[in-house]
Formats: sequence, C-alpha cells, structure tokens
Amino acid sequence: MILRRVLSVSTHWLALAGLIVGISLASVRAEVQAPDELVKKLAAEMTQAVRNDPELQNPNSVKISDFVQKNIVPRFDFDRITQIAMGRNWAKATQSEQKQIASEFGKLLTRTYSNAISTLKDLDVEVKTTRVTTPNVDVTVKTQMIGRAQPVTIDYGLINSPAGWKVYDVTVEGISLVAAYRDEFNGLVSSSGVQGVIDALKKKNGG
Amino acid sequence: MKRIAASVLVFLVLMPQIAFATPAKKLKPAIVTAPPVEDNEPAPPNDVLEPLNRATFALNDGIDLVLINPLVTLWNGIMPSFVRTGVGNFFNNLDDVYVGVNHVLQGNGNAAGVDFERVVVNTTVGIGGLFDVGAKMGLHKVDGDFGQTLGVWGFPTGPYLILPLLGPSTFRETAGRSVRVMTDPRSYMDSVPSYSLMGLEYLQTRADTKANEGLIAASSLDRYVFIRNLYLQKRALLVKSGHDKTSSAAN
Repeated sequence: MILRRVLSVSTHWLALAGLIVGISLASVRAEVQAPDELVKKLAAEMTQAVRNDPELQNPNSVKISDFVQKNIVPRFDFDRITQIAMGRNWAKATQSEQKQIASEFGKLLTRTYSNAISTLKDLDVEVKTTRVTTPNVDVTVKTQMIGRAQPVTIDYGLINSPAGWKVYDVTVEGISLVAAYRDEFNGLVSSSGVQGVIDALKKKNGG
Repeated sequence: MKRIAASVLVFLVLMPQIAFATPAKKLKPAIVTAPPVEDNEPAPPNDVLEPLNRATFALNDGIDLVLINPLVTLWNGIMPSFVRTGVGNFFNNLDDVYVGVNHVLQGNGNAAGVDFERVVVNTTVGIGGLFDVGAKMGLHKVDGDFGQTLGVWGFPTGPYLILPLLGPSTFRETAGRSVRVMTDPRSYMDSVPSYSLMGLEYLQTRADTKANEGLIAASSLDRYVFIRNLYLQKRALLVKSGHDKTSSAAN
C-alpha cells in the first residue's frame, strides 16, 4: 500500500517533470532553429506563396507588402543593416536620428524586397552550404536560385539573437546591396549631413 | 491505479517529444549579444571625373528616354520571347569565344576549357548558337573580358568613367573594351551589316537588363552613386574570381 502510494506520487512528479521538459524543449526547438533551416523555410514559403497567388506577383499590391511585413520583416535585423550601411556616419547621428534612419531605411528595404519577391514565380531556391564566421553567432548561408538560364547565387548573412537568427546582409552574385547604400549614405552625409540621409529616405518613401 | 495509468500515459505521450527534440547542438544557449559591427569600410571610389560623369549619365538617361526605351519596348513587343532568347544566345555564343581567349590569357585553362566546350556544343547541337544546350548540360556561361584580364595582370582600375550610350566603365575597362572592338571580326565587315549586328546586340543587352534597371531606380536614393557602386563591386569581383581561379590552377 505504501509502496503503491510512493509509486503513484513519484509517477505524478515524473509526468509533471516530463511535461515541463517537453514544453520547454519544444519552445527551445522553435527558437533555436538552425540558420540554414531558417533560410530554407523562408525561401520555400516565399516561392510557394508567390507561385500560388497571382496577386503576390504584382510588386505594387497591398498583399505582397503585407506578406513581406508578416513573413520577411521579422526575420531581418534592420537596426544592424542600417548600422552597417551608415558605417562611420552612424556615430555622428543622435539616438533619435538613428531611430528615424533605421525606421525609414527599413521601409525602403521592405519595398525593395517586395519588388524582388514578386518576381520569384518560376524560381526555386536551393540551400547550398553554410560558412561559419563565428560559431553560433555569425554565419553565411549560401543559396542558389534556379529556374532561369543561369543559376543566381544569393548569400544571406545571419546573426544570432535572443529572438533567433536574423538576416543582416544579402548579396546577389557576390554583390552587396548594403554596400551600395553605404556609398549613397556617405555622399548624402558629406553634402548635407545626417539630416540629409533622413530627408532623402523620407522623400523616397513618399512621406 | 487509474491515476498511475494516466500518469504513465502522459509520460509516454511526452517521451517522443523529449527523445527527438534534443539533438545536442540545438540545446546550446543562444548568444545574446551580437558582435559589434566591424569597422572595415572600403576606400571611397575613385571618381575624380564625377562632374563629367554625371553629365554623361544624364545624357544617357535622355537618350534612353527618347530612343532606347521605345526601341526596347518595340523589340520586346514584336519579337516573341523565343526569338529574343535565340538572339541573346547567338551573341552569347560569339562572346564565349572571346571569354575563352581571355581565360587563356589569364592562365585559367579549366575555365577556358568550359568556354570552348560551350562554343563547340552550342554552335553544333545548338544550331549556330541559337540554343544554349551547354547550360542544360551543366556548362554554365562564365563572364570574362579583356578588362578582367588586365586586372588579373595587375593593372589598376583607374578612375570611374561613364561612356556615352555604353554606360558605366573605368579607364581599365575602357582599354579592355577598345581591344575587344579592334579584335572583333565585325569591325572589318562592310559597315551596314556590321552596324546592324552591333545595334542588335546592343538592343538585346539593354532589353535583358531593363528589369534590373527598374529595380535599381525603385531602390536607390542617388541612382548615379548606386549604379557606380554596383558596377565597381561587380568588376572587382570578376577580377578577384579571375585571380582565385588562376592561382588555384597554378597550384
């Protein structure tokens, strides 16, 4: 009888412990998704969605911008992208200017990605290799877009954060878009200061 | 007894979760602080002729607006896409000969082998270069030109230069382009077929890049700077890949 009670209590505790471990593991699994798996999942979601929905193939539709806002934007680290694009000019901006630049630049990039994603109809993305810059912190996932005459190489730089891996650089055929923006920002800062960058971004965003 | 059974049941349901959700590497704690952004900015672009370049850039935009864009639209409109692809392939096939010669000059025998193999396959099976059969066999076209060869040989790029009609270039790439024109058989043909062929190639090239031009216009704050950066990145990359392949072939 005593044995049975002990057994009963201990199995209860064991089951409870199992439940807690199970739940916590499930959530860890959702968060610590390997970067190459993340890129693979994102790419598959994008290409499938665009293929199945003609409205997403129109770069100016509200739907594509909603789609990008919901599925792509949370996976990008716009603060870091902005910081890289601003380079040494980042330190010249006040905190509120930094905030404005990151927000406006995020909008511009979101629109650029919408334009690019809307053309993915006939394409597939293959995840090739992952180059580890710093283990568990900074990696580059190399992919190939196939479906046109020539495969196009697209590499994603990802950084680990409490919210999981986030993209901070995209290069197409080895060419970095962020580097092109850095030259633009540099020119704007030297001609009309940090405010010049904010003004140009706002104007481009139509605000 | 019932409670024990229930507990065991709950435990058994959770077992697979625990067993399969624990590959060791995924359990490492996420590193919370991202490393600071590195301060490794490239040198500013060499654009001593910027005022002149901006003027030529504006001139090219004007020519595009009144002449090239309507022609490209017309070309895309009247020619079915398979004809346009065929024309593009035809000129790419001619270009592959030239790319192959440059790969030889760069000491990159492997790449030259692929280039010439493409020419042979595409000229024969691909009916005079109209079909890119080589790509379907996994022999993908590689970019290459004499400007790249000069770069691999160690010539510096020199200042950035916008050419009328032809667009972004540098002193080195312009030198490379001149050699290309001088060695092009079309330069020694009668003027009418020669200019027609060159015009057709130009039109096809511009038609191919139209989509990218739209994307650049939509994304850039200062289109001149944006295009200059993308062009210089592309050229630097081409020379670097020429270097890498040449040195790996030498080892």
